[in-house]
Amino acid sequence: MAPLLRPAMLEHIPNSLISWLHIYLIYCVSFLVYEMELQLGLALPVHHSNPVKGFDLNHEFINGSKEAALLLSSEPWSYGGCLGTQKCFKNKRTSDEAFGMIGDLPPPFPLMLWNGHPNEDDDRKAQKHRTSCTIHKKELEENHVVGWPPIKSWRKKQLHQHQGGQQIKNDPTARRTGGSNSLYVKVKMEGEAIARKIDLRLYHSYQTLTNTLISMFAKYPKMDKDGATYTLTYQDDEGDWLLAGDVPWQTFIESVKRLEILRTGG
Amino acid sequence: MQRMAGSSFPEEVLEHVFSFIQDGKDRNVISMVCKSWYEIERWSRRRVFVGNCYAISPRMLIRRFPEVRSVELKGKPHFADFNLVPEGWGGYVGPWIAAMAVAYPWLEEIRLKRMVVTDEGLELISKSFKNFKVLVLSTCEGFSTEGLAAIAANCRNLRELDLRESDVEDQSGHWLSHFPDNYTSLVSLNISCLGSEVSFSALERLVGRCPNLRTLRLNRAVPLDRLANLLRRAPQLVELGTGVYASELRPDVFSNLSGAFSGCKELRGLSGFWDVVPGYLPAVYPICSRLTSLNLSYATIQSPDLIKLVSQCQNLQRLWVLDYIEDAGLDVLAASCKDLQELRVFPSDPYEAEPNVSLSEQGLVSVSAGCPKLESVLYFCRQMSNAALRTIARNRPNMTRFRLCIIEPRTPDYVTLQPLDAGFGAIVEHCKDLQRLSLSGLLTDRVFEYIGTFAKKLEMLSVAFAGESDLGLHHILSGCENLRKLEIRDCPFGDKALLANAAKLETMRSLWMSSCSVSYGACKLLGQKLPRLNVEVIDERGHPNSRPESCPVEKLYIYRTVAGPRFDMPNFVWTMDEDSELRLS
Repeated sequence: MAPLLRPAMLEHIPNSLISWLHIYLIYCVSFLVYEMELQLGLALPVHHSNPVKGFDLNHEFINGSKEAALLLSSEPWSYGGCLGTQKCFKNKRTSDEAFGMIGDLPPPFPLMLWNGHPNEDDDRKAQKHRTSCTIHKKELEENHVVGWPPIKSWRKKQLHQHQGGQQIKNDPTARRTGGSNSLYVKVKMEGEAIARKIDLRLYHSYQTLTNTLISMFAKYPKMDKDGATYTLTYQDDEGDWLLAGDVPWQTFIESVKRLEILRTGG
Repeated sequence: MQRMAGSSFPEEVLEHVFSFIQDGKDRNVISMVCKSWYEIERWSRRRVFVGNCYAISPRMLIRRFPEVRSVELKGKPHFADFNLVPEGWGGYVGPWIAAMAVAYPWLEEIRLKRMVVTDEGLELISKSFKNFKVLVLSTCEGFSTEGLAAIAANCRNLRELDLRESDVEDQSGHWLSHFPDNYTSLVSLNISCLGSEVSFSALERLVGRCPNLRTLRLNRAVPLDRLANLLRRAPQLVELGTGVYASELRPDVFSNLSGAFSGCKELRGLSGFWDVVPGYLPAVYPICSRLTSLNLSYATIQSPDLIKLVSQCQNLQRLWVLDYIEDAGLDVLAASCKDLQELRVFPSDPYEAEPNVSLSEQGLVSVSAGCPKLESVLYFCRQMSNAALRTIARNRPNMTRFRLCIIEPRTPDYVTLQPLDAGFGAIVEHCKDLQRLSLSGLLTDRVFEYIGTFAKKLEMLSVAFAGESDLGLHHILSGCENLRKLEIRDCPFGDKALLANAAKLETMRSLWMSSCSVSYGACKLLGQKLPRLNVEVIDERGHPNSRPESCPVEKLYIYRTVAGPRFDMPNFVWTMDEDSELRLS
């Protein structure tokens, strides 16, 4: 990683050196910009009235030359390696998108100067870091990308209820209670104070139901830590408590009144 | 002695002239003319819009504008709508209400968006402002029907109560009966977001005694057989949101409903239609030709039924619909609705890999060709081509809002398998007045070059799963001169582009970046160097210090502020101001 500067360090540098550097940098950059525009005939019609505007050492850290860099820095600075160094400026690229940038310098007070090199070696290093930092995120994404497609949570909720409604239209055995198409039942987990409600119309089998319940209650800390196993029971319309899974799914949803998850071991 | 202002106009005259200027932007400009204009303007400002409740403190607002009557505040970032902002992030309106309760006894209107409102807050509103008239809670949360009961009981002059898309804890439907019997001033009521049943008798009485009621949006729990009765009590309605639109098909119910609709001569907008049974739709046919706005985005009916309905609404200006309308329905729309300005097509089954309807880019192309006034589009679909986008752009250069969501991320042009850069490039090139743009599909940095070059009036840009490098972000930030809000997710944009354009951030309202490549180190630098920005790192994995500085932050929210760092941050948010830096070291 190339040596870079911290703002605080600049205060310890004599003013004369700073002004010298300032002038030198302005010279270097103006020259380079000018040269590049000439060579490539590429100056975009976009504004670039004063390419050195915004060059203020109090605000950004550009190493005009290797010497200057050495003089000014005693400690590496952690962002993006060779930004703004002469090396980068000279390392011209022929692809036009890299040079769209040059005539289009940023407004005053950038914290870095755009150098037209979006992907560099140090980025690749960062990439490695990144992958190690984001494994956890990738794992999550395999199942489902949070927030995509961009549908408002509220609309999603409505949609779910709709799909409950859709299914019932194709389901002759379904109960209809007062125009409502959902079948909400309460689910309680043994040992937990809070019960949840779920719409059984959204499920088609014990398997999908169990999966949902597991993810719904998994956030309770007791759930997997104590190694307990759980059994799903339900109360039918006659008030009897039965083991879920013993009767066909269709019979189950026609008679279920509430659900309870019982601890059975561990 | 009369004080004279600027060009020797008496203050009173200027104040009178200013009173005709409503637009906040215009008034901002006025206030910058000279000191005396600034003074006159600030004392006569009645309406204030605060786009980010953390950009200014209530105290500062009150100090500058002592005579405000109407306040509009926004809280959480827009991506909160898609569950990207963790619960408990902030956006609490409490401090605002507390301060305004003291300073603005004559406050008449509060409009909040994406804010956390408590029942205590609602109660304070109901008791503090003597002439309170308008309460709009859009996508808000944290309150229950109990707080609404306080509003109903105490705000005698309430004209508008709008709870659109808020998450209200339903304790009982009884709150409606808290409107006093002699209360008659209601003009607009939107309770469409409420989950539980409301008291129908209270609702019917309320509707019956408010002669100025123009807008009524019911919730799903209001049954269809009650609708006719409500309509007969309020034939002056202009906007109606139905409740559940399903019932056993009975000729008497149908004719009663149809008659009630026919009696509503002013009706211009319809929404609701939850669980709609197609057999009942013809009840609205008699009024279709008058409708200018139709929201069918909860109506799960198939294309033929939608076509029958839409083809009769020839004066429609706005249509929201599910993708059940299909290309065929959009063809009919294009042929029959020549005044259409806004179209939103939502997905009915977005999480399935396989399409369940026949909706492609073709439907949108037809509408763009057939509806010359179309200027606002939100379109969810599964396939798109550059050719289609080019055609749309050429057909509709008057487009101001264009949001396209191709459901599967990084989907290329399905004809050429190329990125959609050229297509979106055509949109920004032809639509010179484009203010809002959402991108999707396979996109390289090139699309951002087009956007930076052409989208000079763009104010809000949403980007997801796009770009290849920092260059993309650099193009946006350095090129889009009018950009105010930028939201980005899952794009390889990092430190360089952000730091190189740091100053641009001070000209914008906010920047959201999640799952991008911005390092914690860069966030720290930004926060320390630009004190007028709040740089918030949102990371539920714990303190960013526990990872290497080069490790990208999970979520980043940057906004400009004159209020300094906020004080209500939860434990998964860190700001990068210098104090926090001192605290850390």
